Amino acid sequence: MKLWLGLALLAGPLAAQSAEARLEGRVPGAAIPAVDSLVQRAYAEGLPTEPLIQKALEGGAKQVTAPRIVAAVQVSLGQLRDARDLLVHGGDEPPVTPGEVTTVAWALRRGLPGPVVQRVLVALPRPPRASAMHAVADLVAHHFDPDSGADLIIAAIGQGLVPERLLDVSAAAARELQRGHTHAEALALVRQELPNVPASPKPTRSAVARARRPAAPTPP
Amino acid sequence: MNAIDPRIHQALDGELAPAALSAELSRVVERLVTAAALLAAPLPLASLESRVMAAIRRPVPSPARRLLRWLATPRAITFRVRPVWSLAFAAVVALLTLFPLGHEGPDIGEHEGIAQFVGRFPGAQSVHVVGSFNDWRSGSIALEDVDQDGVWRATVVLPTGAYEYMFVVDGERWVPDHLAERLVADEFGRENSIVIVRPARR
Repeated sequence: MKLWLGLALLAGPLAAQSAEARLEGRVPGAAIPAVDSLVQRAYAEGLPTEPLIQKALEGGAKQVTAPRIVAAVQVSLGQLRDARDLLVHGGDEPPVTPGEVTTVAWALRRGLPGPVVQRVLVALPRPPRASAMHAVADLVAHHFDPDSGADLIIAAIGQGLVPERLLDVSAAAARELQRGHTHAEALALVRQELPNVPASPKPTRSAVARARRPAAPTPP
Repeated sequence: MNAIDPRIHQALDGELAPAALSAELSRVVERLVTAAALLAAPLPLASLESRVMAAIRRPVPSPARRLLRWLATPRAITFRVRPVWSLAFAAVVALLTLFPLGHEGPDIGEHEGIAQFVGRFPGAQSVHVVGSFNDWRSGSIALEDVDQDGVWRATVVLPTGAYEYMFVVDGERWVPDHLAERLVADEFGRENSIVIVRPARR
């Protein structure tokens, strides 16, 4: 207990320090205090801070003005709070894990209605849920009805498909659309196939040989 | 075997006049003389020629037909194996399977995958991909247009997960990936593309 308390006391200032250090020179100076304050608030509420820092860095890279950066970070903080609330309503014990909050925030940003997110959370009571959320969001991006999309993914979970393979389910439904089927037909066809939807191809040997790691970031 | 009447021998050798023989022996002698004449006569030339020419005129089978005939003809093959060599062969096959030759590129960790970025930017001087995987820092991942056809590509090893990104063309123009199926509002009035990196080792 003492160890955890010590780590928490150490982690607080470190989080603040690292956020400022990362923003310095990358984000307009006028935005840094406000963004840093929002990052500290998120940290205090047990929310992930990385999405907020990323949003500020993105704004800086895109040469957005300081007020717009702060506004965007504020919106992101609101999405993280909504995500946390959904997770708690869905049955996750607080404090919810930062990774899951980020996952649910992604789902909301990608247009999944809260009740649909909650249905997926109930179907998958334990993390990781990122693949399931993205699979439903992919279906919605292809103009499937959110509830019907969630039904398909929940059916796949029920058939024992591992979370990693849920993205193959949404990909299979998108393929059926490309073949000229209606949305309802595509869902029905993929549901019949479950759990044997084709797996996405692994990277080819030539792709692996070509792959390189991103260059190390240069100091600002 | 019946013995031949000596008078027949004598008649065939010309030592005895055919008139001195009985009618029955005369017929036998006549038949033998006819048979000897047949055997002594040369083979009919026309028949031999026609057979040779027929063989020459027969069409040569095509290489495919000859190969097919060769493949279809049963042959006995003797295959001698020393167990030590067959074990060595199996070991080499196993090693090549596990550690393939010519494999270049980075070692990919258990929680890493490969992202391929492709965009069509004819006339561009440079294209970079910038996103949450590189702290939105331009310059760390450059796309290449090796064959100068306006299609720029990069294949990158990234930790598994979901990332937002955009292309930066000529250092100033921010463009979403139009080939990406996943897009999300960036809160700055534009849309970011989303890439989901799945583990390369599945």
